Amino acid sequence: MARPIWSGSISFGLVNVPVKLYSATSPKEVRFHMLHDKDGGRIQQKRVCAIDGEEVPWEHIVKGFEVSKGRYVTVTQEELAAFNPKATRSIDIEDFVDLHQIDPIYYDHSYYLVPDRGAARPYALLLEAMKRTGKVGVGQFVLRTKQYLAAVRPMGRALALSTMLYADEVVDQDELEGLPGSEAKPRDKELHMAEQLVESLAAEFDPKKYKDTFREQVLALLEKKAEGQEIVAEPAEEEPRGKVVNLMDALAKSLAATRKGEAPEAGERRRRPQTERAAARTARAPAARGKAKGKRKHG
Amino acid sequence: MSSPEGREVRIGTRQLRLLNLDKVLYPKAGFTKAQVIDYYLRMSTALLPHLRGRPLTLKRYPNGVDQPYFYEKRCPQHRPPWVRTAEVDGIRYCVVDDLASLVWLANLADLELHVPLSRALSYQRPDQVVFDLDPGAPAGLVQCCEVGLLLRGLFQSLRLHCHAKTSGSKGLQVYLPLNTPGVTYDDTKPFARAVAELLERERKASIVSNMKKSLRTGKVLVDWSQNDPHKTTVCVYSLRAKEQPTVSTPVTWEEVEACARARDPGLLTFDSGAAIRRVEEHGDLFAPVLQRKQKLPRLAPPK
Repeated sequence: MARPIWSGSISFGLVNVPVKLYSATSPKEVRFHMLHDKDGGRIQQKRVCAIDGEEVPWEHIVKGFEVSKGRYVTVTQEELAAFNPKATRSIDIEDFVDLHQIDPIYYDHSYYLVPDRGAARPYALLLEAMKRTGKVGVGQFVLRTKQYLAAVRPMGRALALSTMLYADEVVDQDELEGLPGSEAKPRDKELHMAEQLVESLAAEFDPKKYKDTFREQVLALLEKKAEGQEIVAEPAEEEPRGKVVNLMDALAKSLAATRKGEAPEAGERRRRPQTERAAARTARAPAARGKAKGKRKHG
Repeated sequence: MSSPEGREVRIGTRQLRLLNLDKVLYPKAGFTKAQVIDYYLRMSTALLPHLRGRPLTLKRYPNGVDQPYFYEKRCPQHRPPWVRTAEVDGIRYCVVDDLASLVWLANLADLELHVPLSRALSYQRPDQVVFDLDPGAPAGLVQCCEVGLLLRGLFQSLRLHCHAKTSGSKGLQVYLPLNTPGVTYDDTKPFARAVAELLERERKASIVSNMKKSLRTGKVLVDWSQNDPHKTTVCVYSLRAKEQPTVSTPVTWEEVEACARARDPGLLTFDSGAAIRRVEEHGDLFAPVLQRKQKLPRLAPPK
């Protein structure tokens, strides 16, 4: 098993459960290295000074904060370290809340908590008590040099810990433009139809059902390449162009249909008003379109 | 009255200083910069999706529609830091995705918004085909409507949908939505040209496909050449710098038919107020141009 990221204890009231923290996720991204196309050499990154063009060793690199254009204040590692939150080595549970009260937007990273030596019994007790009450512990702890908000919850045989965003780290919806307001309130009939559509697609959530097909394809490609097979890039779109048509015939057909006083066949099948007056009315009120749209078959 | 130092406004989290709000930009109509900003503000919900992601060419009239104007492709240097830009062919364009940037442009007296048929990130891949119908006097909007209906009939028999908007001046523009990745201007331009040349052959007396001005008298130019990465067309809902603050307005084919039949260009002339009322009443009639997926047909070799 991987090494724990952190060890300390969960504490609330007088209870103290020693635990170790492990990452609960292993994102499976395909990672590439940068190479020189001519000779295959690895590309190195060098830190170079913009003034003299010289490479700068780490010991001569300081942090600068831009206060106005081109003006910086610098700080040393020691100055910053003075503000580091004290590594308290404890997850202090402040409240127990209902899981459904936490919107998923607050969750950041996921970890598992595993009992440290000798803590199996109090750990099992806490796990069981949280399962029975259906509650989630919310508290704060310090990981490396940052203070985190975290939710601790029972998940199967383990306690899971999710670091969470603080409220001011979530973008306020007032900053978004274009969200529908009261003017976009759906009509009952539309709403009913939309609800039926949602219901007809309702299913149990099965995370195994969804696959990262892009990654699978990339990995398959890499495997073939590694085996020395010739790879030919496939076109992205199976066929961006439509079928072959003869413009002249199409125009002739359209003109013939117009002469007969009928629109040629197309997606929009509907009668158009024939009288001058009806036509003038539609000129100011393009409502016919909305109706036709409603009639068009979907899917 | 606004002070010459201007007025500070907040749009979402963004701060903006609006200057010379009382300046009259359309003298014949007495239409001020405040009204231009108000128009773009109220039109933003319908307009922004059509600007989104597209490198914008500004057409600025700092002293009003009857004074000198200038085209500006390069996004102004003194822009606020939150205005998005994108580099295309070595030029850093403004890319307007949000209300604050739109208001900022209106404040620069950028009366007209011109966009290409593709987005900055896929600059060689148009998502639309346009036919710009431009009349040579004495032909006008009515004759453009007749040609527009020909185009529509042609596309209907190819089972394709197309959509029309007024240019906001005397012309009509017909858009064929594609929204199919993989299509390039090398596909769309020859297609548009073949269509234009076919219409010209069939209607020699009333249609030309050649840009030359002298050929256009009394006829309608079916301009296919805008299907090019270096060309722009006035964006739907853009104001035009004419005597009146007219708008490039989407119209239904029923309205185009009615205009052709009544021979009354007034039926398809909309100023800023009329354009806003239409959107309030009918929503964005041009939304299908961004949404409808259609495959560009291949052309059979001529018989």
